[in-house]
Amino acid sequence: MITTALNWKRGGIGTCLAAAVVLPWLLNGYTISLVSNALILAALAASTYVLTIAGMPSFGQTAYLGVGAYVAAILSRENITIGLIHIVVAAISGALAAAIIGPVVLRARGEVFLMVTFALGQLAVVAASKTAALGYDEGLSISAITLPGGTPLTNDGYLYLYCLAVFIPLLASTAWLSRSRLGTRLRAIADHEPRMAALGHRTSRDLLLGYMAAGAIAAVGGCLLTATHRFVSPADFGFDTAALALLACVIGSGSLAGAVFGAILIIVTRDLIGATTSGHGVALLGVLFLVIAYGRPHLRTIVTFIQTAIARRGN
Amino acid sequence: MVGTYAVTALDGVAFGLLLFTVASGLVLIYGVMGVLNLAHGSLYLAGAYLTYMISNGSLFSLVAALAAGILLGAGGGATLSGLMRPLSGRPLDQVMAIIGITFILADIYIAAFGAAPLPATIPHILDGTISLGDHGYPVYRLLFIAIAGVIAAMLHLTIRKTRAGIALRAVVADPVMARATGIHTQRIRIAAFAVGGMLAVAAGVLGARICGPAPGVDTTILTLSLIIVVIGGAGSIPITFFVAIIVGQVQTIGVIVAPALAPFTLLMVTLGILIARPGNLGARPA
Repeated sequence: MITTALNWKRGGIGTCLAAAVVLPWLLNGYTISLVSNALILAALAASTYVLTIAGMPSFGQTAYLGVGAYVAAILSRENITIGLIHIVVAAISGALAAAIIGPVVLRARGEVFLMVTFALGQLAVVAASKTAALGYDEGLSISAITLPGGTPLTNDGYLYLYCLAVFIPLLASTAWLSRSRLGTRLRAIADHEPRMAALGHRTSRDLLLGYMAAGAIAAVGGCLLTATHRFVSPADFGFDTAALALLACVIGSGSLAGAVFGAILIIVTRDLIGATTSGHGVALLGVLFLVIAYGRPHLRTIVTFIQTAIARRGN
Repeated sequence: MVGTYAVTALDGVAFGLLLFTVASGLVLIYGVMGVLNLAHGSLYLAGAYLTYMISNGSLFSLVAALAAGILLGAGGGATLSGLMRPLSGRPLDQVMAIIGITFILADIYIAAFGAAPLPATIPHILDGTISLGDHGYPVYRLLFIAIAGVIAAMLHLTIRKTRAGIALRAVVADPVMARATGIHTQRIRIAAFAVGGMLAVAAGVLGARICGPAPGVDTTILTLSLIIVVIGGAGSIPITFFVAIIVGQVQTIGVIVAPALAPFTLLMVTLGILIARPGNLGARPA
């Protein structure tokens, strides 16, 4: 029975994947670039998700998105345009930056963590906007990234497929991390940290590892941002982006797939439905925030219902 | 040269007091309600737009703008506290709801006032400079320092000496016990939110000349006041005051002392203080 449920779930994932791959042949260039944006937001949401399972809602993962994006931009400027190199260097930089900042911010918990990450994330953006090497407020324009063969990627459809090819392993690694022993320990820390410490677990080390992983995930998302927009500026890493990533996680109600769905829902609300309201997409997002905040107890029920429905399918 | 530093330091005091007025409201609301009011920057910006709309150069118009701001702030604060009530005990949902409100307000501001920065007119009689040594200094800014100083002193005395202030501190320290002794905790909570809102909008009205009405100012003010709350540990009004003045100095003196490091000074100072502060950062205020 469990096998059938698993098969059904695998079938679902396979269908989603197949649908995602054929999208560029179905949508126009603008819409497909929106889907790329949804993937970037979903990567940021996945990074935020790793912290939420440890009970640490963050407003600052945009800083690591920025680390990845600027690292990729600087590599491009130095004529290193191969996407794979960007991703590896960005992931390492994100994890290293998190290793430096982590010990400071991880002394806070809960809402104070939210405040500290918000404050530091915003200060980092302000610092970037005043740094000559990062192009001040105007940001950096860069040449297209290339595949290992040397072909530059400029077409929206191919760029989307590139994003997808990076995003899927990224998402799979996040899911693996979430189910790994570290992920389990992070959940336990969210439940009762003193008990975990008393049992002999090194909670600070675990939190730092989780924080570094989250930094690396966000930085890879930043690479995708640079590749798709071919432009990076401090405006990409503002408070609103961080808030949207957290909203996607909240919509997910503790499920990673739900967080990805949340990211897509947010982009659809802002850029597709919002486009019909003559520039009031931001207000629509505001309404989405309110709906989620007040409706979350019901949302939780819906997510549980879907999860049990999937699990029961095999019976 | 010393004069330049002194004048810049005075600017820092003015900016610090501006931030204090906003941050103290944030501390008040966080202390009493446990709510992180991320709409505080939007309230400030509402005040700045009020000055743009109402103040036309006469003293009376600025006073009218201030009166409107106080009403709007109190009303807005009370409304927010009402909106937070069904979400009590769900801090993440409270944060989500408040961000929703800031998004909607930001959209309204852009629709009503456009995306360009707007001028803030101050009364003509205050629109001059007086000489401090061999430097001219804006009269309005000195007056702002005086008014904000009075607000800070009044706030401190109200919380420390008056009956309402004692009730408020009781609610912060132990809400259940406070209610058992007959304090209307709900009324105190609404009042704290209303006063916090009032402080933010009033700061916007009076500070429009210093940090003017423009999109994005809401996030700037919110970030700086959150930094003050984070550094000060949401502890008390005097600590918030002290930290706000330091942040004001870092933002102004820092620029002329070490121009190359200026973009990073506040980030470094914040990180430094967070590292140096003993114990967990998670303590609730008392």
